[in-house]
Amino acid sequence: MFQVSREFAPPFSLISPYFTAGSIFYMIAMLLLPMLGVDMTTYDITLVAWAHLFLLGFVMMIIFGAMAQLVPVVLEVGHFSVDFYYLIWPLLAVGTVLMGAGFAVFPSILPYGGIMVLVSMLIFLADTALTLRKVERVSLTVKTVAVTNAFLLLGILVGFAMALTIGAGAGIDIQKWLTAHIVLVLGGFVTLTIVGMSMVLLPMFGLSHGFDETPVKRAFKMMSIGVAVYFVGALFNSESLRFLSLLAVFAGTALYLWQIWLIYRTRARKESDIWFRSMAVGYASLAFALILAPIALIGHLESLAIAAVWFLVMGFFIFLINGHLFKIIPFLVWFERYSPLVGKEKVPMLADMVPKKSGEFQFWFTAVGMAVGGAGLLFGSDELFKGGAAFMAVGSIYMFISVKWMMNFGKSQMQEKK
Amino acid sequence: MSEKITKERVFDAIRKVIDPEVGFNLVEMGLIYDAIIDDDNNVKVVMTLSTRGCPLHQLLMQWVKDAVKEIPGVGEVEVEIVWEPEWNISMAEDHVKKALGGA
Repeated sequence: MFQVSREFAPPFSLISPYFTAGSIFYMIAMLLLPMLGVDMTTYDITLVAWAHLFLLGFVMMIIFGAMAQLVPVVLEVGHFSVDFYYLIWPLLAVGTVLMGAGFAVFPSILPYGGIMVLVSMLIFLADTALTLRKVERVSLTVKTVAVTNAFLLLGILVGFAMALTIGAGAGIDIQKWLTAHIVLVLGGFVTLTIVGMSMVLLPMFGLSHGFDETPVKRAFKMMSIGVAVYFVGALFNSESLRFLSLLAVFAGTALYLWQIWLIYRTRARKESDIWFRSMAVGYASLAFALILAPIALIGHLESLAIAAVWFLVMGFFIFLINGHLFKIIPFLVWFERYSPLVGKEKVPMLADMVPKKSGEFQFWFTAVGMAVGGAGLLFGSDELFKGGAAFMAVGSIYMFISVKWMMNFGKSQMQEKK
Repeated sequence: MSEKITKERVFDAIRKVIDPEVGFNLVEMGLIYDAIIDDDNNVKVVMTLSTRGCPLHQLLMQWVKDAVKEIPGVGEVEVEIVWEPEWNISMAEDHVKKALGGA
């Protein structure tokens, strides 16, 4: 029988540094965003430095923190050793800073940052792999976790080889491997992890039942095959394989969006809270990215491809992650501080533990900034891009305030009682 | 000999257990399927959860058990989670459906 006991649930003190560090990296990355411009290219070193600060410090940090909590929920077994998570975040945080500085200013420190990030991710992968061995009921989410972790391993090994090339002169063809690294990590790990987790979290929070899961099963296969074939295409330098693999990824994404529509249609909980609106903006951004990406691919339009990645990363990733933080953090705080008091005194509901004002400001500044910044990329307007980036920077400050507010909820009362 | 405990009394006791995510108690959510009470007032509660991945799984079971144990004269209390029939919003009471927007 499925059991998530208290001993399976990691302590809040273990998970909270991930959310604190993640929201700080998010704020720093967004404050630095106006440094970029519409003339950026995939190989622009400022963009590469910024992307690592944002993706490692924010996206990966939050995903790893969330996985510490969600692995027992979605895999239906306890972690092999949740104590590994005490090591992951400091290594990832320091490694991210070194990598960002290495790309931007001091190439010689890049391999040191790279090795710290690599070790942090290998620890994460080791715990997940050993946890997967205990799983009894192999659901779609379990398969997703297994496949995404394999892609992450490949992606970080390719990335580390490139870091060695930039910092220590190893002989890797960076132009050849950079897109493989991006597709493996962003497509193979981040996107597919979100696909897998969303199949648990969206029905759970929306109380959706009785929907057909065929689209997501097909989407998962197509996207996984697409990412794997892209890697083979990079290995053999085959343009046609890469082209076909991206088409498979796009088709898989379309099926996934269809699945989300089915979940949306069967939801019983219809309130439009910050989580729901974040999901709506996130999936609308993904749909828009999906319209832009095939045009960019077929027309060989790099600026359009960058705009598609913008809507994927700044729209889909940010809104899916931030939206879920407004559910996950209150739950963890409630579980830690209030669940022992149930039946003994009145305890708050989770909805009471969400900051209304800062949450709203965060949502609107980020949504407007994402749309305006994306328009700037599409129309080649640096003013629009930087204006959007400034809005997103303000949104990130409100996100940080919201995270701190949620994490401190009830803390002073608890200390007074002690 | 203590008074025979009724199913209604068990359900009333469980009404004190609130799901903190939605703010409704487990009975009005339709999550409590049955309460089987034998001649010695031993109670077996048969319930489900709104989702298999519910992270409050064990706590909810414990809260249900604690709530039923507060009934005077109750014997052993057992809580069993079942997944058939799968819960859906039609099992909830009307005011819950209305509040959630599903009515």
